[in-house]
Amino acid sequence: MQSTKRREVIISEQEAAGRIRDGMTISIGGFLNSSHPMAVIRMIIRNRLKNLTVIGAASAGLETDLLIGAGCVKTVIAPMISGESLAPIGPMFRYAAQRGELEVVELDEHMYYQGLRAAAALLPSLPWRGGVGTDYPKINTRLKEFHDPITGELLLAVPALHIDVALMHAGAADPYGNVQHVGTGFGDRSHHRAADKTIVTVDKVIPNEEVRANPYRTSIASVDAVVRAPYGSHPYASPGHYLEDATHIREYVSAATAVLKEGNRAPLEAYLQKYMFEPASHAEYLDRIGFERILSLYEV
Amino acid sequence: MAALTNVATEYTTKELMAAFVASEIEDGEAVSVGASLPVCRAGILLAHLTHAPNLKVQMSFTMTNLRNVEVLESFEYITDWRAARWAEFFYAHDTGPDLYKRRRKAVFFIGGLQIDAHGNTNLIGIGSDFTRLKMRGPGGVGTASMGTNVGRYYLYANNHNKQTLTERLDWRSCFGFGEGGADARTKLGLPGSGPRFCITPLCIFDFEEQTKRMRLKSVHPGITVEQVLASTGFTPAVPDHVPTTAPPTAEQIQLLRSRIDVEGVLRRP
Repeated sequence: MQSTKRREVIISEQEAAGRIRDGMTISIGGFLNSSHPMAVIRMIIRNRLKNLTVIGAASAGLETDLLIGAGCVKTVIAPMISGESLAPIGPMFRYAAQRGELEVVELDEHMYYQGLRAAAALLPSLPWRGGVGTDYPKINTRLKEFHDPITGELLLAVPALHIDVALMHAGAADPYGNVQHVGTGFGDRSHHRAADKTIVTVDKVIPNEEVRANPYRTSIASVDAVVRAPYGSHPYASPGHYLEDATHIREYVSAATAVLKEGNRAPLEAYLQKYMFEPASHAEYLDRIGFERILSLYEV
Repeated sequence: MAALTNVATEYTTKELMAAFVASEIEDGEAVSVGASLPVCRAGILLAHLTHAPNLKVQMSFTMTNLRNVEVLESFEYITDWRAARWAEFFYAHDTGPDLYKRRRKAVFFIGGLQIDAHGNTNLIGIGSDFTRLKMRGPGGVGTASMGTNVGRYYLYANNHNKQTLTERLDWRSCFGFGEGGADARTKLGLPGSGPRFCITPLCIFDFEEQTKRMRLKSVHPGITVEQVLASTGFTPAVPDHVPTTAPPTAEQIQLLRSRIDVEGVLRRP
């Protein structure tokens, strides 16, 4: 029988990862060391998914690097992959790209947003001027130089970047999928608009009444699924909730750097085993990190 | 501007570079304060606290005015939302492509793995085969678009050596003046005026008007022209007389150390 009740969209992190299949195109929201949907990313790695096309953030962080290191990624699309001072260039991104094991679709930030906008607008491409005169069209042959039919100016056509499932992390959402970011939300909205489905991990599920009390704060309405994941961006920050766990990020960087510098995968395999493969849930992962560490990540 | 009679007696190279950056910023301009170029951040804020009270400061996805903030603590990561305590406005990052009309007079800073004699830059990587780079770089970030469109920008080199300052790039991720020539940018229809100067720990380069090739504009105190030439991978134009970069004033150093760079990032070797 058809339910007459409004549908709630809260699902578990396992269910969320179960909606991702080998070969899909996913996007990962956030920016550098903040706001990545790690509770679901860890499950994707645990499910040993393969051949993903990953559209990272305009400045992707080491969560994208981790997915590459775990062997889940065939193609990466991100204008930069960096942990800022913790790792200026993602070590596994470097390793895989330098060995020709990773397809890198090179785009500058605003070409990237034009591609996402084209997908959102159901257009094959959108024009952009940044990159004219550079090597971008040589290293990314999907970009086409053309002359604007109105003025004749030389421009680049940026093809649409379609996303199967957009994954992102936010401060809060209600059970119906109304998302309220704390802060700007970085480029998360552009991922949502270019995606068939959006799954958001949140530090807190809030009642619908709280959304209605301040609807101006709703940054994305009606996403497809919400995952309740307090500290769900760990080891990355979540604005208004907690700061990045630099100690843990360094643990990852050190393991990944052993692969890059010495070809030694053992520390990275141990890291994946301990934090990705063994914990069966987000709660078990947080157990591994420990209360003391988690509670030390306060914002001020 | 404070009179140059009040020259600081003791300062670091990074503080000198920050003071030079400050001297380039005009009141009322819009400028982005990035996290990864602390010297540029300090220079911008130094201008703001001295001669540019109406600077439009973009920081950590906010826009603000910081004149009345006593100590401008620096954040390790650009995503640090504690900058929101100063914010008057915030913008979602994906609105970036829509901001260029308003950035026609904006100022930006661009670094590179490589910077060539015509001010083009490379953040893609080192090596001739793109699918097997010897050193994979971080990626071009927004430099291609910002370099194309913003009013003017400055090249910034953390290190001055032949690997960084090179005659030819392995890959061009941001267009400065291409292969050179006064019309290098206009013939491609690029709206911004391109790189104005290249700021390094040894010197300042500008661009010769006709060739748009780098020319030595000044050497920092204690540095010789010969040292610069020996550390540069291309041959810049060298005028008969090369002046010394103006040292910071005592007031600038006092402001840097007490309000802008309390942590001492610019005083570390």
